[in-house]
Amino acid sequence: MILKLALRNIIGNGWRSLINVAVIAIVLIGLIWGEGMWYSWLTLAKNQQREWEYGGGILRAKSYDPFDAFTWENGYAPVPAEAQSYVRGGRIVPILYSPGMIYPQGRMMNALVKGIPENQKVLSFPSTALNAADSSYVPAIIGREMAKTSRLQEGEVFTLRLKDSTGAFNSLDLQVSKVMDCPVPSLDIGTVWIDLAALRKVKLLPDAATVLVLKDASLTAIKAPLFRYIDPREFFADLNQMVKTKVSGQSLPFGMLILLAMLAVFDTQALAIFKRRKEIGMLSALGMTKGQIIRLFTSEGALYMVAASVCAVVLGFPLYWYFAVKGFALPQGYQSFGVAGFNEPLKFHYPLLVILGTLIFLFLLTVFVSWLPARKIARLRPTEALRGK
Amino acid sequence: MEDPIVRIKNMSKAFPTGESEFLALKNVNLDFGKGEFTGIVGPSGSGKTTLLNVIGSLDTPTSGEVEVLGLEVSQLSQKGSSELRSRHLGFIFQTYNLLPVYDVYENVEFPLLLLKMAPNERRKAVMDALEWVGLTDKAQSRPAQLSGGQCQRVAIARAMVKKPTLVLADEPTANLDTENSLHILDTMQKINAALSTSFIFATHDQKVINYLHRVIKLIDGKVVSDDTQTGA
Repeated sequence: MILKLALRNIIGNGWRSLINVAVIAIVLIGLIWGEGMWYSWLTLAKNQQREWEYGGGILRAKSYDPFDAFTWENGYAPVPAEAQSYVRGGRIVPILYSPGMIYPQGRMMNALVKGIPENQKVLSFPSTALNAADSSYVPAIIGREMAKTSRLQEGEVFTLRLKDSTGAFNSLDLQVSKVMDCPVPSLDIGTVWIDLAALRKVKLLPDAATVLVLKDASLTAIKAPLFRYIDPREFFADLNQMVKTKVSGQSLPFGMLILLAMLAVFDTQALAIFKRRKEIGMLSALGMTKGQIIRLFTSEGALYMVAASVCAVVLGFPLYWYFAVKGFALPQGYQSFGVAGFNEPLKFHYPLLVILGTLIFLFLLTVFVSWLPARKIARLRPTEALRGK
Repeated sequence: MEDPIVRIKNMSKAFPTGESEFLALKNVNLDFGKGEFTGIVGPSGSGKTTLLNVIGSLDTPTSGEVEVLGLEVSQLSQKGSSELRSRHLGFIFQTYNLLPVYDVYENVEFPLLLLKMAPNERRKAVMDALEWVGLTDKAQSRPAQLSGGQCQRVAIARAMVKKPTLVLADEPTANLDTENSLHILDTMQKINAALSTSFIFATHDQKVINYLHRVIKLIDGKVVSDDTQTGA
């Protein structure tokens, strides 16, 4: 009975109801779109990092700290005996890091040199381009960003100088065999990739690795006392944190929109209670309790939210569909942040549970905002209400 | 009077006006019996509506006792007075106070929904009520599509649909022309005779007064006369 009357009242409210529903629906469409974007970006970035960097897990040399450049020179350990057979079987990919200096066209640049087996198949990394069969130079792969900053092009030869394990400087002449489109900026920016065997040879470290990339998580059980397992939570912590920060930043405008929508509901309800005092008095005279009348007015506010949710799903569907199918090109400038997920159009996926949670939260918020002015009814005397006072 | 349905004893009602107070009803003593067709008459500000509101448990007396159907009004909780109104009392207002978003049928049905009556019984009760007031053909109309007289007849049907013991009508003809007023009064008189429903009017309309069996005159909150009319 209360819901039916509430529904009739908001329909009878005409344009005012329509504007309320439209404002809330626009906010909801924006929220769903935004949630879709962040969720899809996070998923895409994680997938790309898994494919290109993390694989099924990573064991990292305990002596290597990615946040302390002073550890990089000696940040390696011998590949554990138990892992050797898996390395040979292609299920573990050892990668060796070394800081170095490159001299592209006579200029001097710092670079992090990474050695990866050219025949590895665990990562999507195009390591086959490191095959030295057709070249008198050591082949090297760099990413587009690195090519831009170093001004190196495919086929170009440059010198690499680095310290070997005895502390003596060694050098290699490298030839850019491929400029790769790498979706993970951390594998691109300031990095030169060469074949693991070549790097080990020049470093005089025949069996060393900085990280061991595992094909699957079951390999984390191998005994590797000089290595530490980096679980996905730790590995993706920066990415998660960045998305969290971005979402927090974006939530300000959305928060303002929600506030506006809630103000519209509050204003409508407050005005309705003021304008419909006689009706409140009459309902009271007919035997409705104050609680029932408060529920009636609160339900009217809540129904705005229900109608807006339906509108947001139905009317917003073409928009959601467009971004799911056609995608959305994220600004390339974001790649300089060192985060994956920006090199291809982002196709939206919508996290249903998160969206449902948001809708439920907003529904409860609308109920609360509608209830706030309706509380006044409890203090209203029926005789005064009947006189419209 | 045997078993009065409303018993008022030494009742006064005061309203605060700034630091002092205005005494709207002064030491009123009245009884109303079942099936009465009574009017409280008097000039504006004499306390008619206030008396009706107290009887209808929409307000409470400042002092004295008001017993409606055996229930002391000032002792009733909010829920208790809502229950009394929804089960036993019907209200008719000067301005009809119909729900504009509901059609005639739904307006009349509304009090029965509050009583949680079964759908079949409800339908029959609503159609009976609309028949009493001669508006069965307007069941699907909205109040905005009806004349003032028709709206008041809907209000009467709404008040009568639950067959209350007592109907309180506050200036029911004030917004109506003579023809509609007489029509309304005839309708209420017929219902009174057929169902023994008690009616208490607050009015200063002579047309209404002519119909009343009992006329209680209020002046400045005091009962100055209480007369029975024969031949009304």
